[in-house]
Amino acid sequence: MRRIKVLKPVLVSNQQRAKENRQAFDRLNSLVINIIASPGAGKTSLIKGIIEKLKNKYRILVIEGDIRGQIDSEMISKLGVDVIQINTVTECHLDAFMAAQALPKIKKKYDLILVENVGNLVCPAEFEIGEDYKLAMLSCPEGDDKPMKYPLLFHLAKVVVINKCDLLPYLDFNIVEAKKAVRKENPRAIIFEVSSKTGAGFEEICRHLEKELNAKKKKTAG
Amino acid sequence: MHEYGVTKSLVELCNKEADKNDIKKVVKVYLKVGKFTGFSPDSIQFYFEHLKVDTKCSTAEIVFEEIPIKIKCNGCSKQHVIDEPILLCPNCGSDEIELLSGREFYVASIEGE
Repeated sequence: MRRIKVLKPVLVSNQQRAKENRQAFDRLNSLVINIIASPGAGKTSLIKGIIEKLKNKYRILVIEGDIRGQIDSEMISKLGVDVIQINTVTECHLDAFMAAQALPKIKKKYDLILVENVGNLVCPAEFEIGEDYKLAMLSCPEGDDKPMKYPLLFHLAKVVVINKCDLLPYLDFNIVEAKKAVRKENPRAIIFEVSSKTGAGFEEICRHLEKELNAKKKKTAG
Repeated sequence: MHEYGVTKSLVELCNKEADKNDIKKVVKVYLKVGKFTGFSPDSIQFYFEHLKVDTKCSTAEIVFEEIPIKIKCNGCSKQHVIDEPILLCPNCGSDEIELLSGREFYVASIEGE
């Protein structure tokens, strides 16, 4: 009987692939954001709102991750931006290999690549896809305790968006507590309060994105 | 939920390491799982029983070692082992926290013949 030291992460191949994806995205000078939220939180509406505000100034690509179908990508392409659909079929998240399927379909340079992950607060958190950062979203009807229940995602996300804030008068959602809960997992999180319905908060998100876009350009140009 | 794919990677990694080290039969897989990961040892165990069939791991068992969440406060320099991943110093309340352990998920070693 022999004991062999391995000391390798189980997700070593995913991490390697994510690194290669990141290098490919860097060559395109694209800022890549991995958008993670539960089903119905408003990921697609967030993307649509960002597109409306930034599409005349930046080249945007959306990568849609869904278990099945292409409802979201059809909706997005109507807004006049390019979309690549990835169907995960049985998987509850995008991993680096699935994200890599998009690479040969990218035929030109984009400033901003928005990746809509499968609706799920658990699994997508563990799988890097080669993104610059994760954006976690929660919507007020889901409850202000979500960051405590799904700590890993909120810990890893650079940006947290609280959506459907127009519903606050009708809900028991305590936004102060929600933000406190996010900060307990992630003291440095950049938090936005928005409503995709009314457009509130989108100016702030887009200002943040423009700052990130400039920073990425500087990094990859140098 | 996502442990199926993860356990598949685990079996592949162990088989590859066995091949590399000329091991014909893996008997034990020593797996370290941090408490601040989204991986459940029970689910990994469940899928492992199915995925190891007809591989070098077919009779192997997993020995799990849970790694606690350990933080260091840069405010008061104290270290703490915490049960829940709340990244605020239990001593002084500072949010200048460094995560020392808890995110691990790796194969430490394999045993075989």
